[in-house]
Order: sequence, then C-alpha cells, then structure tokens
Amino acid sequence: MSKARANQPEDFTRPLRRVLVLLVLLVLGAIFMIWRIDSPRVEQFRANLVDKLVPTFGWAMLPVTNAMAMIDDFQSYARLYEQNQQLRDELQQMKAWKEAALQLEQKNARLLDLNKVRLDPRLTHVTGVVLADSGSPFRQSVLLNVGARDGIRDGWATMDGIGLVGRISGVGDRSSRVILLTDSNSRVPVTVQPSGQRGILAGDNSALPPLNFLEDADAVQPGDRVVTSGDGEVFPAGLLVGQVAKDADGRLRVILAADYQRLEFLRVLRSHDIAPITDAGALIAPDPLRPLPDGVQGPQVPENFRPAAQADPATGGDGNG
Amino acid sequence: MVERLFGPVFGHRLLFLGLAMAVFFLRLLPLHSQIGSWPGPDLLLCLVICWTLRRPDYLPFWLVALVIFTEDLLMLRPPGLWAAFSVGAVEFLRGRSAMTRELNFGVEWVLVSGVMAAMFLGYRLVLAFALLPQMPFDTTLTHLFVTMLFYPVVVAASILAFGLRKPAMGEVDAKGRRI
Repeated sequence: MSKARANQPEDFTRPLRRVLVLLVLLVLGAIFMIWRIDSPRVEQFRANLVDKLVPTFGWAMLPVTNAMAMIDDFQSYARLYEQNQQLRDELQQMKAWKEAALQLEQKNARLLDLNKVRLDPRLTHVTGVVLADSGSPFRQSVLLNVGARDGIRDGWATMDGIGLVGRISGVGDRSSRVILLTDSNSRVPVTVQPSGQRGILAGDNSALPPLNFLEDADAVQPGDRVVTSGDGEVFPAGLLVGQVAKDADGRLRVILAADYQRLEFLRVLRSHDIAPITDAGALIAPDPLRPLPDGVQGPQVPENFRPAAQADPATGGDGNG
Repeated sequence: MVERLFGPVFGHRLLFLGLAMAVFFLRLLPLHSQIGSWPGPDLLLCLVICWTLRRPDYLPFWLVALVIFTEDLLMLRPPGLWAAFSVGAVEFLRGRSAMTRELNFGVEWVLVSGVMAAMFLGYRLVLAFALLPQMPFDTTLTHLFVTMLFYPVVVAASILAFGLRKPAMGEVDAKGRRI
C-alpha cells in the first residue's frame, strides 16, 4: 500500500492535504447544517450573492437572448401560410368575442354602478425585466431586475400582462426572485369563478398545477375561470390565474393565463394591505387577519369590508351590498 | 493562449473557471426550458471528474469546492451539500489516480458512472434525512443518466479543445517533479 503511494506525485504534502480536504468537507457540511437550521439568514446571503453576480452577466445575456428570439421568429417564417390561415380563423372568432366583450362591458358597468364598487387605487405596480431564469426543471423561479432599491418586498404578487405569475421570495438590493406558480413550493388560495368554490393551487413542477382542497369538485367544470381568493391575505383578491382543465386521471388542473413561455416583463403588485412579512424568508404572515391601520389613504371602504368580496361584483357580493 | 501567459497549471485553472462561468451563464439564460421537460446534464460535474482523472494537478480540491459552492448558491440548491459531495468524489478519484491512469476509456466510464450514481443517491439520502423536499425519483434518475451519457462528450471536448490528456509514464512538470 505504502509502495503504491510512493509512486504518486507530491507525496510529501499528503497528510496536510488530507487535513485540508477534511476541513473543507466539514465547513461545507456545517454550511448545509446552518442553512437547514437558520435558513433565512443564509437565504439572505444567497440573495445578496445573486444580486452581485447575475447583473454582471446582463451585458452578455441580452444579445444571446435576443439572438434566440430571432431564431424563433425566423422559424415562424417557414410557416407563414399556415399562420395566415390560423390568424384568419382567429380573427373570425375574435369578432364574435369583441361583440361579447362590448356587451359584458356594459353589463359590468351597470353592476359596478349598482354595487358602488371602486377598485383599489393602492394596487399600483412596479414593472421589472426578467434577468435570469436561475432554475432547473426542479426549481421554477425567475430573477427580476427590481429589488429592495425599488421598494419591492417579500410576498408581493407578480403578474405578466394577463395573469398571475408568482410571488416575490427573496429580495436583494437590485434584484428579486419570483417563485413561479409551477414551483413545487408554491401554494396559492384561489376561487373558481362561476361556482365560487375555493381551493389551493399547488405547484408540482408540471406546466399545469393541480387544484387541491376544493369543497365540491363536481361543481367545477373545465373551462371555469380561476382567480386568487385573497384568503389568508397572501395575495390581493381577484387576480386572474387561469382556466380549469381536467387531466387524463380526472384530476383538476389549471391552465395558467400567464404566458410562461415568454416571461419578459413582469409587474410586481404593490399591495400594502396584505399582511406584512417582517421576517426575511418567511412567507407565511405571522398574523393574517390584522385590520388595516387607521388613517390609511384609500377608497371608501364599506363597513364589513373583505378583500375577497371585491373580486367579482357579480358573484362575490355577499359581504357588502 | 492562457497557458503561454500563465504557465500550464495556472492557465488551466483559469480556463476551468472560465468554463464554469460559461456553464452558469447558460443555465441562467432566461430561455425558459419547458417546465417538466428533461433535466439537462450536469456538465460541471462531468467537467470536474474528467479533469480530475486527466490532470489532477490542474484542479485542486479547493477550486472544486469554491466553484460548486457558487453553483449551489446560484442554482437554489441547499448550499454546501452538493459541493461536499463533489469534493468527496474528486478526492476519491484522486486517491486512485495510480489505478485510473492505466484504465481504458470504457472502464473509466463505468467507474465514473458508478461514482456519479453514488453521489446522486447519497445526496438524496442526506436530503431525506434532513427532511427536505426533493424532486421525484424518476427525474433524478433521468438527470443521472443524461449526465452519464454526456460524460464522453465532455471528455472528447476536453481532449480536442483543451489538449487535456493523461500524462505519460515518467513525464515531468516544469520543476522536474514526476506527474
């Protein structure tokens, strides 16, 4: 044994090396243990590191991303005729939809008038650009180029133009991370629209997250609208999430309205009236049913105001009338 | 070019850092790999093992620890754990460099695959002991197999592009030491 070792290079440094390797292994193991025990602090460190490292890639990411987008666009030229036909078909359908939308708009205006509902003007947003997709098939998250500097806070909802995308989890100075709805750590309380059934949208790393804990799953039809319910004051109520679909096993899933293929610009909703999250990394608020502080500037709030009730005046008007 | 500027050992270390940065960069690009699609190969692991088996002197364990730890932090993994496994694997292979030097590629591939499988399983075990959520088992398996399949590609690229080969018997480095 010792002879075999004597053939190897640099064997005079061997004992010292072995000690150093053991030391490094111990340190790495200790970091893992510390992370397991006190994860918020280590996660803050991680957010700061990402904050430092990733924006430095920005100059190189932009051209590569644009080049890939160009290749995508170029491929679509090949299917020009086919697309033209498709667009004509869609245009026909859209004309019908336009008519329906106009009618609905009038109806909605009437209902709003009846209900005296005002949408919350405090729901303003900050728009950020997706910097990096620092994830894998196992972790669904994106990095935005807005952070604590722009007033972003943990727990805020993030949308693309149409639907909910995820929530902020981890804020650095110049960047923040959005955990997508498809991530296996994501749980969002939702309402299924015409029936008003409440449930939890639980990400499971698939493109179509399942809908759990519905009271009466039979009342939910494929094609129903899914919006956030505002339960637990995690998110503002009434943000569009997607449509219900049924998979081959008969399980209810949600086709997300946000275009997950092209997440470029995301809106972070400034929602001050959700329960504040004081602890870094903790996303469950300590006291979810805290009343609004006095003297907050805002719209006239009815006596027994519940955020869920403003979601859809047509169906959710049970609390205020 | 880097070798001429900094000498072979330091030049290759810089080269390794550059390659690691390139891998991070590719992983971070916002190109949005389809959700639920196949997990890509762990190129960095292939690179580390390939370089350790070819030229252990180019890749000290602290560099491996540093780079993989950074990867842990960037890729949202539990920090430190995969880095510890990587350092362990690298040291295991380095301790057998007298044996691996004479292996032909087929046997080397089998050995490396075994080491990778042990790493993935051990990693899952530790995650389970720490009561951490983990990815489904079949995804891990696919990840492992894709990584194994990519190992020869990384080896070929290292040999062709970076001139990384096992030192011949009795070859000496710049200071006259045997390598």
